[in-house]
Amino acid sequence: MGELKVEKHVEYILTVEKKKDDFESVVMEHLRLNGAYWGLTTLDILGKLEAVDKEEVVSWIMQCQHESGGFGGNIGHDAHVLYTLSAIQVLALFDKIDVLDVEKVANYIASLQNEDGSFSGDIWGEIDTRFSYIAICSLALLHHLDKINVERAVEYIVSCKNLDGGFGCTPGAESHAGQIFCCVGALAITGSLHHVDKDLLGWWLCERQVKSGGLNGRPEKLPDVCYSWWVLSSLIMIDRVHWIDKGKLVNFILDCQDKQNGGISDRPDDAVDVFHTYFGVAGLSLLEYPGLKAIDPAYALPVDVINRIFIGK
Amino acid sequence: MTGAAVDPSRLLSHLEDILGSDPDIDEVGFIHPTQFAIFNEAIHSSPSSSSGGGPQLEDGTKPKPVQASISDTFFWHNEHKLGISTLVLDPLYRAAKDAFMDAYKRYRLLSDSHVNKDGKLDNDVLICSTSILDIVESEVMKHSKALLLLSCDFGTAWNSRKSIVLKKLPFPMFMDELRLSSLVLSYSPKSERAWSHRRWVIKMITGKYANVQEIVERDSELVKTLAENSKMNYRAWNHRCWLVSYMSHSQVLLELQHSRDWSGLHVADNSCFHYRARLLLQMIENLQHNNDADGSSGVEFHQLWKEELDWVRTLIMRYVGREALWLHRRFLSLVWMKHLANDDQSISCNYCSGTCSTVNMFIEDELMLFHSCTIIPDNDFGDYHAQAVYSATYILWLAKQLPTTFGVKLRRSSQYEVLRRLLNDVGKSCLWDSTTASCTSI
Repeated sequence: MGELKVEKHVEYILTVEKKKDDFESVVMEHLRLNGAYWGLTTLDILGKLEAVDKEEVVSWIMQCQHESGGFGGNIGHDAHVLYTLSAIQVLALFDKIDVLDVEKVANYIASLQNEDGSFSGDIWGEIDTRFSYIAICSLALLHHLDKINVERAVEYIVSCKNLDGGFGCTPGAESHAGQIFCCVGALAITGSLHHVDKDLLGWWLCERQVKSGGLNGRPEKLPDVCYSWWVLSSLIMIDRVHWIDKGKLVNFILDCQDKQNGGISDRPDDAVDVFHTYFGVAGLSLLEYPGLKAIDPAYALPVDVINRIFIGK
Repeated sequence: MTGAAVDPSRLLSHLEDILGSDPDIDEVGFIHPTQFAIFNEAIHSSPSSSSGGGPQLEDGTKPKPVQASISDTFFWHNEHKLGISTLVLDPLYRAAKDAFMDAYKRYRLLSDSHVNKDGKLDNDVLICSTSILDIVESEVMKHSKALLLLSCDFGTAWNSRKSIVLKKLPFPMFMDELRLSSLVLSYSPKSERAWSHRRWVIKMITGKYANVQEIVERDSELVKTLAENSKMNYRAWNHRCWLVSYMSHSQVLLELQHSRDWSGLHVADNSCFHYRARLLLQMIENLQHNNDADGSSGVEFHQLWKEELDWVRTLIMRYVGREALWLHRRFLSLVWMKHLANDDQSISCNYCSGTCSTVNMFIEDELMLFHSCTIIPDNDFGDYHAQAVYSATYILWLAKQLPTTFGVKLRRSSQYEVLRRLLNDVGKSCLWDSTTASCTSI
């Protein structure tokens, strides 16, 4: 319990970033771009983004770009929207979106919208509301929402709403906090939150808090730090965050730290990883833990980065 | 013999030889070196040995002895099962990845130039370049398979297989892809790419090559098998829900029937109850489309729904404090109430004693159920307390969704105060406040 070990977490992330030839890193190499987003956004929230070599990162990111305009998870990998969003987000952190051929990237994303408004993840056609969020978030950051049919996109997301007020990955799929974040985030960005029954969804979300104060992603599951982000940001976006016990959640996240070696794990005493370190720190930021940069709940980027993009320097 | 001493490309060749020699491998495991010794002991012991050493297979026989070789230290292959020593995972992965990426690059270059072939080239050259392309294609298929066993979400590898299969299109290739996906899922049941690859194959073959019903049955069974050890596996159950849109009406009813026993044995698995809800909603949709003049659809729905409600009630009383059961009941009761409200003539009558309408009877029953759940025995098991809380939020949730019926009746019932106090005690007064706000506006 107690405090956030900022220095330790910074050290942990920088170590992971350098150790890319370790077996653990190597087997994750197909999603290294996602890893870059988790690690670097955490550093920024902790106020330590300058600890990395900006030019090196930007240059590597651009090498991950595929001829289609989309980005692969690493150099030489096929394009997919999952990595395309991370690329845009990391470039945004460094205020380097201008190195992109914005038209090209935006066209790649827009080309993945289907007739019913849904989005495929890549040319192979898998549909998921995560990809709707990614497309909308990416295009908003690139100032190119005009390239898609926003109304249809919203319609599709709304069609994924369940009777319990939550959202799944496709129409009729089980409500899941991660998917809910994506749907609510997409609706927030497109100014369509009136489609959400906030009390009903707020109810489902606040029932994610378990005795320990942690949040789970679905009923009957164990709490996991990553849901501190997905459930929390969703509650904030629909203005129901007062329906959970914030103090207990803060304590849960702090309990998930490895105070000796840095990093945060999914639940207390488990092994740490960059993914959970990011969500723990981002969650604490949303909970207004002192000393952290504020993070935008819809775009999942620091507020000053978002302001820079939408309001100007 | 350590992992470092063996040439990685030899390791890869050996793995690929095993995979090539046995297309029916249905299970892969990663074995710690110390356990590996035990597996190998069984293989190297003579068949006449009566010593107890070595594992027995499920049918009681011992594995047949295999020629001992250097690579036996790292691979175990028997009865369509494959074991790989964790010692060699690192070099094996790197070798597979490098081989794959290299072959894939060559494949893309060749197939691009093949497409652009000048029509003036003579037949021999064309045949030759086609053969080279064939060779590279089979390399891509071979290396991607090995790679995917070691890194199941390596998207580019799955994609390469789709590209090649798409060009060639023979049905057996599609079946191979399903087999590979099943193999990967056997040890990595949450692999997103393995599931989406499966859906891609099914979309390609449905109607054209294969019988939809068979595919649906087989994949539904696959999920059921995997779900046994992989609780509330979102991707697996999502796949099963995806199959529902391919089901005929009778298949939907059969699935409901056949999956009931399993659900009754997995009452903490929220995903399996959501699957039932999905099937029930599909059934309603089908009945609405059929819209029989004799009203048999209504009867069918009534019967099924009542059965489900009664069955869940039995489970709730038997398995005390199970959230998934209460949530399923929320769904069932909401749909039921809405249906009854459409049927019931006396619904808007707030002045009658309430005993005449089926809606009121149902609400009363549910309030009685709640009441029975608030009686916590002296032994004070946590589960009984959970049961009380879940039944309370269940009632409140329905009151919130149906303020003019459930909400009104709750307000007038003797359970009102009990409910309020219970929810307040567990810090859920926000839900209470939100619900009473909706109800007072009547």
